[in-house]
Amino acid sequence: MSNVIGIVNYGIAGNIHSIKKAIEAADGITIVINEVSQFSDVDKIVLPGVGSFKDAMQELENDGFLEALKNTTKPILGICLGMQILSTLGFEYGKTKGLNFIEAEVRPILVDAKVPHVGFNTIELINSNEVLKDLENEEFYFMHSYEVVNYTNISSLTEYSGHKFVSSIQKNNVYGVQFHPEKSRDAGIKLFSNFINLQGEG
Amino acid sequence: MRTRIIAKLDVKPPYVVKPIHFEGLRKIGITSELAKKYYKQGADEIMYIDIVSSLYQRDIVFNEIEKTANELFIPFGVGGAIRSLEDISKLFHIGADKVVINTYAVQENPEIINKAAEIFGNQAIVINIEAKKWGAHWECYTDCGRIRTGRGVLEWAKEVESRGAGEILLQSVDKDGRNRGFDLELCKKIVESVDIPVVVASGAGSLEDIKEVIECAKPSGVAIASLLHYDKITINGIKKYLRNNAIEVSK
Repeated sequence: MSNVIGIVNYGIAGNIHSIKKAIEAADGITIVINEVSQFSDVDKIVLPGVGSFKDAMQELENDGFLEALKNTTKPILGICLGMQILSTLGFEYGKTKGLNFIEAEVRPILVDAKVPHVGFNTIELINSNEVLKDLENEEFYFMHSYEVVNYTNISSLTEYSGHKFVSSIQKNNVYGVQFHPEKSRDAGIKLFSNFINLQGEG
Repeated sequence: MRTRIIAKLDVKPPYVVKPIHFEGLRKIGITSELAKKYYKQGADEIMYIDIVSSLYQRDIVFNEIEKTANELFIPFGVGGAIRSLEDISKLFHIGADKVVINTYAVQENPEIINKAAEIFGNQAIVINIEAKKWGAHWECYTDCGRIRTGRGVLEWAKEVESRGAGEILLQSVDKDGRNRGFDLELCKKIVESVDIPVVVASGAGSLEDIKEVIECAKPSGVAIASLLHYDKITINGIKKYLRNNAIEVSK
């Protein structure tokens, strides 16, 4: 069945613990992906991310995960930095190429307010998808200093102090959320449940 | 902007304790149980601060932290006795989302802030500042107000920001544990002096105290400890009160 979720474990920064716990709370089966061969054991992929764009891409390359990720047709869910690296280019600690699933750039949040943007916030659906199903009025936990700049694949926007930024994206099998569903109470678990129930390839 | 309401657990593993004006300790309950209780009550975050390990040069009690993390589906910050990037990495692997650093950064190695922010992202690095008032200015203390550092609070706040800290947890040595209101002047001054979020602690003794510090200083969050421990006030109760007073908080 299609509910074995692989969590990509890369770098020293990763907090896969909470993601694993949340997916299991949503009745998903998890496998922590430590080597490339494990990509074939899973139905769907969660790409976490803690740290910087540059380090994350470097670590994915060092671990040999880049090609496997780029070539997969399985549903992928990028979380926070894991969403950001789905983009073409990142500008954190210099200019770094991303996975390029989605034509987008990752830039510092430009807002007249405290950065990082931290705390629970709502999402405004622009072009909803299965992963966000029934979650329109919920609050999710954000914790980020950079935002994805994209105009074509926006699923939702979120407002922070008058500034609207992309809080989730989707293109084909690739989904990304800027917030942390694993830190967003029941709404986050519901999001994982939606992801588990996606009818994807794979 | 929704002001975050954070439950702060002052821990002497495995217990949550209440420090009385940074001196005596009173046992309140088991840490993992209280964390879960405050999560269920609607806390936006849980902050776990081991208030003894740094002072006694003990190691971080990882198994207690992991046990506490396992109960939560909200952000979990952990502080106390963090001395290396390895400590930080290990904490993230067992379920922490943020680390809270004070003594090691202010007394020994401020450079750890830069390194940790680069590796783990600045949003994950919180600097705890314990401020004590001396005349017209405040000085940084460590180890629950026991040790003076000679550093000015305002200067240190700006320095940690420039080094890459993503947040400041601001405590007042003078007000902590007394439940008589916040050091409003201190809170306002620090919030206005940096561009990163500031979470204020020390002093919540009533709903009015919380409202007052939010209105006066506009912090990103308020950390509440002992007020929650005696079941007189719940986090949902605090949020409801704030909402009724036109202060935005999460659900």
